[in-house]
Amino acid sequence: MSNHSAVTGYEPGEFFCEIFGRAGGRRLGHTRRIRDRLAQLDIAQLRARARGAERELYNLGITFTVYTDREAIDRILPFDVIPRVLSSKDWEIIESGVKQRVAALNSFLFDIYHGEKILKDGVVPRELVLGNANYRPEMCGFDPPQGTYVHICGIDIVRDEKGKFLVLEDNARTPSGVSYVIENRHLMMRAFPDLAEGMRIADVDDYGRQLAGALSAVAPTGVGSPNVVLMSPGAYNSAYFEHVFLAREMGVPLVEGQDLVVENHKVFMRTTHGLAPVHVIYRRINDDFLDPKIFRPESTLGVAGLFEAYLKGNVTLANAIGTGVADDKAVYAYMPRIIKYYLDQDPILSNVPTNICRETAGLQKTLDHLGELVTKPVGEAGGYGVVVGPSASKRELGELRAKLIADPNNYISQPVINLSVCPTLVGRAVEPRHVDLRPFAVTGDSTWVLPGGLTRVALRRGSLVVNSSQGGGSKDTWVVG
Amino acid sequence: MDNLIARFASNIFWIGRYVERAENVARILDINETYARESEEGPDWQRVLDLHADTDAYLARYAAVDAANVVAFYVIDRDNPSSIASAIYTARENARSVRHLISTEMWTRLNISHNRMAELTRRDLRLDNLSRLCSEIKEACQTFEGVAEGTFLRGERWCFYQMGKYLERADQTTRILDMSFERAGKDIGVAMEAVHWNVLLRSVAGYHAYRSRHPAGSQPRDIAMFLLYDKEFPRAVALCVERLGTRLTELETLHGNRRHDSVETARRALVFALDTGPGSRITQRRLHKFLDELQVYLANVSSALAATYFSGR
Repeated sequence: MSNHSAVTGYEPGEFFCEIFGRAGGRRLGHTRRIRDRLAQLDIAQLRARARGAERELYNLGITFTVYTDREAIDRILPFDVIPRVLSSKDWEIIESGVKQRVAALNSFLFDIYHGEKILKDGVVPRELVLGNANYRPEMCGFDPPQGTYVHICGIDIVRDEKGKFLVLEDNARTPSGVSYVIENRHLMMRAFPDLAEGMRIADVDDYGRQLAGALSAVAPTGVGSPNVVLMSPGAYNSAYFEHVFLAREMGVPLVEGQDLVVENHKVFMRTTHGLAPVHVIYRRINDDFLDPKIFRPESTLGVAGLFEAYLKGNVTLANAIGTGVADDKAVYAYMPRIIKYYLDQDPILSNVPTNICRETAGLQKTLDHLGELVTKPVGEAGGYGVVVGPSASKRELGELRAKLIADPNNYISQPVINLSVCPTLVGRAVEPRHVDLRPFAVTGDSTWVLPGGLTRVALRRGSLVVNSSQGGGSKDTWVVG
Repeated sequence: MDNLIARFASNIFWIGRYVERAENVARILDINETYARESEEGPDWQRVLDLHADTDAYLARYAAVDAANVVAFYVIDRDNPSSIASAIYTARENARSVRHLISTEMWTRLNISHNRMAELTRRDLRLDNLSRLCSEIKEACQTFEGVAEGTFLRGERWCFYQMGKYLERADQTTRILDMSFERAGKDIGVAMEAVHWNVLLRSVAGYHAYRSRHPAGSQPRDIAMFLLYDKEFPRAVALCVERLGTRLTELETLHGNRRHDSVETARRALVFALDTGPGSRITQRRLHKFLDELQVYLANVSSALAATYFSGR
């Protein structure tokens, strides 16, 4: 065995490290065991474990799929064998913060589709909501069971250099990634059981049962034992693995639009026994594609008549239609005020400080510090149009300035956050790489948060982008107590 | 009751069929390679093409009928829907749609087999290696079958899986039989050299089973009757048809599926044809015609199943 341990020379620099703590600060107590164990491994041993895990991923087909016209190519989401470890104290903050946020999101959605109190009180600008592309006027006055709109919520959280948690984004439509949380744990326990030995790690296996329970709790009233289904766009969707996984964890049928039919405003699935009733649909399809009669007429993924069956209360959709307005970037900026408005509480999890450019002070601050801030158009998704001040050219900043002045309502700005890092096996060394965290909350009549969540890691040195499409991978996330 | 989505019943049925098909194509290549090796007339790969009525499709892609190309066509050519690589790929794509309904082990086996097929190149198909490769493929399919037996839930889904498997196996046995008799020539009243029939029997793992029935002889007629009718032999057509019937009954009695006249009619027609048999004096031509008919009846059962159970009405 070599004298060099896998983490010799590991240097997180000025960032907060999820395993080793703050630069110059105290070592984290809850990571002592894992630090000791990593110190006893050499890099070859670590690499051997990583290879074993990777082979397993491939054989198990835990993949996202890229389709060419000829065939399906399966790619695995890169998995790093060094886990990200959260203390139970950290977790209490995240868990309560996520629950609070979900409660606020649901109250907000109920309000904007009923009395619009928050708009009348001027807390959130009216046109921000009513003019939003994801606002669905068809939902006005509709009462979803238990008042729940966002049954499944994923909240993206980062950690700054002081170790403070900040919410980067709410995902209130069809957040994905939870299957990796559970599969990563299984994989970790097969490939690296000794690393976890003797540690009390919060279990993640309960997600399917919790989800099935929550979905049953929001079934239309009067249905004794509801038939729940998971509705997927199909095997060609890149998240199909997750759809399969969740249907299986819940023990419910996985269906596509073509398997469903609406008769007399009731939804049925086509089975080998003929038509069988459907009461709750966990749909992994965007609003736009759900019902060609109401939304996009060309959609072949949906079911004609589904929306009307929904409005009549014969079937529950999870998440509800029209939740996209709540996870919009512009609405995000108002979340601290929204929490305060409905719950009369201060946010447990802070937003990344956000300048709202439709407000004079926010615009001024943005214009004054354009070169230091990240400026984001609110209407766009997927990082489109985002300008990162420190890495933008003079010309780009000049163009941005002109756009901001012409249309301030369309922008928010935020400081660049130095995301925390976690030791990560990269080639032949363990190096710091930036991570984020997406905890998943499930809400039926109450909210449950899966301990931990998805840790995504930016595998490129220095990169802050954790998306799988841009060189991101994932890690197992441990909550140890 | 299962609430099995009709489309998924079809996927499961086809997993059963395609894995069985891959295994049998491997058997056919193996047996033909052995015949070719032992033949004085030289290799004849045309018959494999004839067996699957693939000559036109083949000639559209390859200039001449020769060993290397025919083997490539049937092992790795993904443009050929009846190649082993295509069968495994299709089984896996069907499995992908029903991953929540099959066991993780079944999915993993198919993945491993697919990954293995995808990495094969022409260099792996050299004739001196072909028998070993065919064995490997057969074993991969048998492993899948064993894993399914040991891990797949016994519900409706199991019935559909098994029906797919038995339909395909019956069909493939008729094709293997046809090929061997065609090879043996028209005049099979005269005892052919034992080697030929032994190769056939071994290729379907039936040599010892047959011997225990007929310790001394290798009468072509006995062999044909054995492969068609011996209900203790797992690849015999009659056994497959019987099992198919059992699963259909189970669908109704255990799983509450409606009884459907069209499936029952097709099944009865198949049983009747099988019971009638190829006649007392078997000639190659008569047997060929009989096997052709059986293939049609088997296909009719398959279509009736699809219309009844896979449409969801």
